[in-house]
Amino acid sequence: MTTHALPHPAALAQSRHTGGALFHFTIEHFLLLPIGGLIALVWANLRPESYFTLSHNLSFVVNEIGMALFFALITQEIVEELMPGGALHTWKRWTLPAVAAVGGLAGSTLVYLAYVAWRYEAVLLPGWPVAGAIDIAFAYFIVKAIFRRHAAVPFVLLLAITADALGMFAIAARQAFVNVGSGGSALMAAAVACAFIFRQMKVRTFWPYLVICGPMSWWALYLDGFHPAFALVPIVPFLPHVPRSLDAFTDTPDRRHDSVRHFERLSRYPVQAVLCLFGLVNAGVLLSGYGTGTWALLSAAVIGKPIGILAATGLAVALGLRLPIRLHWRDLVVVALATSGGFGFGLFFATAVFPVGPILAELKIGVIATGVGVPLAFAAARAVHAGRFGRHAHHA
Amino acid sequence: MNRSAALVASAVLLAGVGAWNAAAQPGLPQQAGAAITSIARPESLRFAVVGDAGSGEAAQYDVGRQMSAARETFPFEFVIALGDNMYGRQEPQDFVTKFEKPYEPLLAAGVRFFGALGNHDRQENRFYPGFNMAGERFYTFVRQDVRFVVLDTNLLDPKQLAWAEDTLNAAPEAWKIVYFHHPLYSDGGRHGSNVELRVRLEPLLVRYGVSVVFAGHEHIYERTVPQKGITYFVEGASGQLRKGDLQRSPLTAAGFDQDRTFMLVELTGDRMLFRTISRTGVTVDSGVIVRRSTT
Repeated sequence: MTTHALPHPAALAQSRHTGGALFHFTIEHFLLLPIGGLIALVWANLRPESYFTLSHNLSFVVNEIGMALFFALITQEIVEELMPGGALHTWKRWTLPAVAAVGGLAGSTLVYLAYVAWRYEAVLLPGWPVAGAIDIAFAYFIVKAIFRRHAAVPFVLLLAITADALGMFAIAARQAFVNVGSGGSALMAAAVACAFIFRQMKVRTFWPYLVICGPMSWWALYLDGFHPAFALVPIVPFLPHVPRSLDAFTDTPDRRHDSVRHFERLSRYPVQAVLCLFGLVNAGVLLSGYGTGTWALLSAAVIGKPIGILAATGLAVALGLRLPIRLHWRDLVVVALATSGGFGFGLFFATAVFPVGPILAELKIGVIATGVGVPLAFAAARAVHAGRFGRHAHHA
Repeated sequence: MNRSAALVASAVLLAGVGAWNAAAQPGLPQQAGAAITSIARPESLRFAVVGDAGSGEAAQYDVGRQMSAARETFPFEFVIALGDNMYGRQEPQDFVTKFEKPYEPLLAAGVRFFGALGNHDRQENRFYPGFNMAGERFYTFVRQDVRFVVLDTNLLDPKQLAWAEDTLNAAPEAWKIVYFHHPLYSDGGRHGSNVELRVRLEPLLVRYGVSVVFAGHEHIYERTVPQKGITYFVEGASGQLRKGDLQRSPLTAAGFDQDRTFMLVELTGDRMLFRTISRTGVTVDSGVIVRRSTT
């Protein structure tokens, strides 16, 4: 080998730069989850025995513990947007997206339940929250790609956050109804009281909240039969917060001494790693495992949810609410279709509702299949000349 | 049941055993009555197996008649139902047309059915007295020296897995037979083996000395080559049928996908004799399985 065969230092630097940019792009666009999911899907269908052994061994750590970090971040987003200056603070700003979210959930639920009832597979009935799940990052990036800076972006974010919050509430309420408490309530009260005391003591670092209150809350939920991944949900509201702009995926100013910002910054990469593992552990399904649950979920997400969103928004507008400035009905059609994809949230909801088995596998395939919403959203945008496909693109 | 009837029954059950290898070949079904060899004892345990049966269609009634006819010479005590015991609407009148009528002579004779839940069964069906599930999704029962463990593979939650492990571990019986709806091994073209369930269940089955597993779901009949010492049966064609769906592989010991079927099983000592019969009364598979050692 001659030295000519070695890469030039400049080429190496360029390569490192390209690699770094690719990594940054992957992180910024929350692509580790779909990458993990894709690997899982291929692996499960090529070497199912080894895949399901790994999935079985990792599922508890990833789904029940690791995902608590992810839901902590989601809770933080919601809490901050409810604060003064936040997007959810005034009812005028969030009412219409919230109504649209309720409509989407109602539409997807109706279609899902109707399909399952038509096929007489009652065992699938509890899966309706899965059909209403919206992958927030996924919907955001589709709408962003189509509309760039536009009122559709905060609208879809609010819609997705509200829909998933409703789904989480529905699942937690069902678990509360189904499971009999085993002494977790007192422990949860202690965890919340502890977080309250930290707050009163003006503890600004998040570590005590995470290390002391978090495990108490996790164990309390576990004892009572709730999904312990929600462990930090009742704790996060006690962290000192500041309002934030709605565009959740843009960089925020560095506030080094702000506990929430500190938490957000430190947990950024671990959460992405958890999401990658979540995709790896949960998205692997044998494609031969499709069934009624698959079709019920797909039709609910791609047909029921968009129709529900449009119908509820239409009703709200008829009753006096106004669409955001520059958000037209044709844009709303695209936004509604962009919410079809359940992915991360859909997979999580599915695993929270159903234990391992063919029923869960059917729903997982349905969740993955909701990816069909991507080309549908782009096709709709092209057909109605919305966003970048518009004759006069209406950028902000 | 008297001793002579039991001997006759055992002899008829074994009709196909002598032709075991031939029956395992596709397209070579055995006519009932051929090559009688009796080794069974009167105290043996006899039962029948149906799966994916509850269609309420004529074929299910035909199978029911064949079962009644078979019981005249092979007086089985009970039937295990491998799930999808009811398809479609499941109102009270459907339990009559899809279960009580097709098996009316058997039920009238006091034959009890022990059901497992399939994906088409309503979970509430576990409360239906005819399925003898005592309101449980997963349960166990003992007959003679045989422990039956019935699982709900629709929803294989940790609680059920822990229960299955405890039950199998504590069972003192010589024979341990497990049945549920979704097959861990199958060459059925529609679904195939459920590897995800297998990863969780197979270690328990192997560890605790299970010899035979019955499942349905695939609308065919199939018997596998023993896997880690366990023979897996798929009997999912007692009402439904997916004709021509068996994709034979080295896993397949025998199979039949041309008509509806049910199974007759006899356990005597450390041997399990089985015979699979089609809707028209043709023996499509038969053989003997030797119990695995539990040590």
